[in-house]
Amino acid sequence: MAYRQWEIMERAATGPFMEEKDFLNKRITAKMREVIKKYGVKFDPAHPVPADDAMADAVWQAAWEFFRDVGVYNQDTHRIMEFSEEEMREALYCAPSSHTVGLGKDSRVFGHRTVEDPRPPFVIFSPDITYDEVDFFQACVAYLKEPLLDAICSPLLEDFQGRAIQSKTPFEIGGSMEHAMHLRSAARLMGVPGVCMIAVGTAETDVAQVAVSQPDWGIRPSDGRLVSSITEMMTNNAMLNKAAHYQMYGSFSGNLTGTIYGAYAGGAEGTAIMQTAYHLMGLLTYGCQFQQNFLFHLKYGSNTGREMLWVVSMYSQAVARNTHLVQDSNGFTNAGPGTDMLFYEAAAHAMTSTVSGANLWETAPARNKHHNHGTPLEARFAAEVGHAVARQGMKRERADEIVNALLAKYEENIPDAPIGQTFQELYDVAKAVPKPEYLDLYKKVKEEVGAMGVEFIY
Amino acid sequence: METIDRLKEAMVEGDEDACAVLAAELVAEGADLKASIAVLAAEMEEVGRRFETMDIFLPEVLLAADAMTAVMKVFTPELAKDATVAKKGVVVVGTARGDMHQIGKDLVALFLGIAGFEVVDLGTDVDALDFIHEAERANADVIGISSLMTTTMPGATEVVALLKDKGMRDRFKVIVGGAPTSQEWADKIGADGWAEESGGAIDVVKELISGRA
Ligand code: B12
Repeated sequence: MAYRQWEIMERAATGPFMEEKDFLNKRITAKMREVIKKYGVKFDPAHPVPADDAMADAVWQAAWEFFRDVGVYNQDTHRIMEFSEEEMREALYCAPSSHTVGLGKDSRVFGHRTVEDPRPPFVIFSPDITYDEVDFFQACVAYLKEPLLDAICSPLLEDFQGRAIQSKTPFEIGGSMEHAMHLRSAARLMGVPGVCMIAVGTAETDVAQVAVSQPDWGIRPSDGRLVSSITEMMTNNAMLNKAAHYQMYGSFSGNLTGTIYGAYAGGAEGTAIMQTAYHLMGLLTYGCQFQQNFLFHLKYGSNTGREMLWVVSMYSQAVARNTHLVQDSNGFTNAGPGTDMLFYEAAAHAMTSTVSGANLWETAPARNKHHNHGTPLEARFAAEVGHAVARQGMKRERADEIVNALLAKYEENIPDAPIGQTFQELYDVAKAVPKPEYLDLYKKVKEEVGAMGVEFIY
Repeated sequence: METIDRLKEAMVEGDEDACAVLAAELVAEGADLKASIAVLAAEMEEVGRRFETMDIFLPEVLLAADAMTAVMKVFTPELAKDATVAKKGVVVVGTARGDMHQIGKDLVALFLGIAGFEVVDLGTDVDALDFIHEAERANADVIGISSLMTTTMPGATEVVALLKDKGMRDRFKVIVGGAPTSQEWADKIGADGWAEESGGAIDVVKELISGRA
């Protein structure tokens, strides 16, 4: 059974009352300031990939105390779900360190990694962006063709049968079913019928998620699901509904969390501590099997800047060193597809995450907000970088040097990053393969990044 | 140091208690409160600029804004005696039905408040008709709707349609925003304003409110 599910769900109704504004503006802010100071957490701009075990452990301790004293706010009941240290220890001890996801020959092990782990990361491929309905199927096919794909969290739909999907209406349910059915058929046609789908992104509501739980044509227990937490440290009844449904249906549930750098958590230190604390939140509040980390910069909506990579590295190391939980790191780039900047950013994100103990979720291009702007090729590149640096046993110090060299290539261009081109412009959609020009760009950058010290396997 | 300078400092540091005390001192000194507010507002604008460049972060802005509110609590009864002080306007904000993305809306609400507007924050996942009922109740000038998903953009369209159906389209100005939205879409659905980010939202509201006065 999911960790003390019903005892915990009950706290949404029985926990202490607080106004949401006070929870965010007072409880979170005050405690975060206190733990940053108490544990001496400090951002070091010179080292985006810090080789600092003591700092990683300080981040973990700060996150532990923060979560213990802050709890999780339920926006519907206006009450705080609180957890004792004993529960935190018990839940952590009892959590599995790996899961076999997917079915049959297509199943894979999605597990905990350690800092500088020579085992390659588990890679989830996803553009995390909406596509035209007419191209949705081929976009799924293009992703499913990727050899390094361990799981897929495909494109999203904006329309269902030619009509705009509206949240909380039957069109959302229809669109969510279409999403699941297409993805399932595409997987079979590509010869990976049992592949783990982390789905369905088009299903925004709890109702739509329940509607796609159907092993014949939809989501199976062997697949993954996502339940969000609301920044920062908040939930609501719809999220708790999703969480309970996933556990009882039997899917692998991931806590979808993106601390916003510059918002309620403050700067790099607070963002790293908050993102670490979300691992505890997912485990205790939702009974999650893994943690989906997509923190981003308030202004840029990306996580490949210097301060963001430091945060990615720090929370990944904190969790990798102090728990056996399963985590992944979701790259959000500034630049869009078809640009060399996107490849540099994807390489920096994948390398930082991999040596710091994370699995990969790649890649959300162009600040994650431009329709059709995402292709499998940038995700492939990130996956190849992740596999390479793990297999070559790259240490944090070396990754830090290379990431600094990569940053030198794009850091200045972050504010005005190009949004690039669409999937339709860069891919032969009918064949679901990249056009030669885009492949050439990928090969050129791969050579360049190889020369910087990444020993690509092929 | 003059009282107003100490007040400015206390506000930037987010020290609510000190602000209340210093504000009362200014009142006792018989200071020109409108001029004092102008000084503090200029300082808050500077706080906003430092947030824009990420030299400071949201918690610092929130603390300073709360401190400013503490000052206004002391000043307001005094200002009420002065008939030449005009209210700037009331804005009701929330995210469209089904939308739980809240930070963008939070920022828009915060900065409108800092700019001197009275803001009523309805939170997230707000029903279209509730926007209108709450705007009526608050005697609002502007309704602001945030849609972060294409699937919740129709929620904003619905507010405009309901206002028309209720024969109240002229009563409130409607502004819309959020990552997937655009000026073209705002025009298409018949909204009165759109902005890409919170800074722009202030300009739009200022323009709309001065336009109707
Ligand atoms: C953070 C985030 C989340 C967080 C939100 C946390 C929170 N408390 O707000 C969580 C994890 C909860 C979340 C959940 C989901 N999300 Co989300 N999320 C995002 C993300 C990455 C960033 C949004 C954000 O906070 N930006 C930062 C703020 C500061 O910027 P902003 O909101 O744009 O606001 C600024 C301006 O737009 C403007 N503005 C905003 N509102 C207004 C209003 C007015 C009147 C004006 C004038 C201006 C204005 O001013 C603001 C400040 O400058 C976006 C991608 C993106 N790039 O937007 C996806 C995104 C919005 N999410 C998406 C999806 C699909 C989901 C989920 C369905 C995922 C899932 N399968 O569960 C759920 C849906 C939950 C729900 N029912 O709402 C999609 C929507 C796709 C679509 N159909 O359009 C997006 C676009 C990602 C993508 N590309 O696919 N998400």
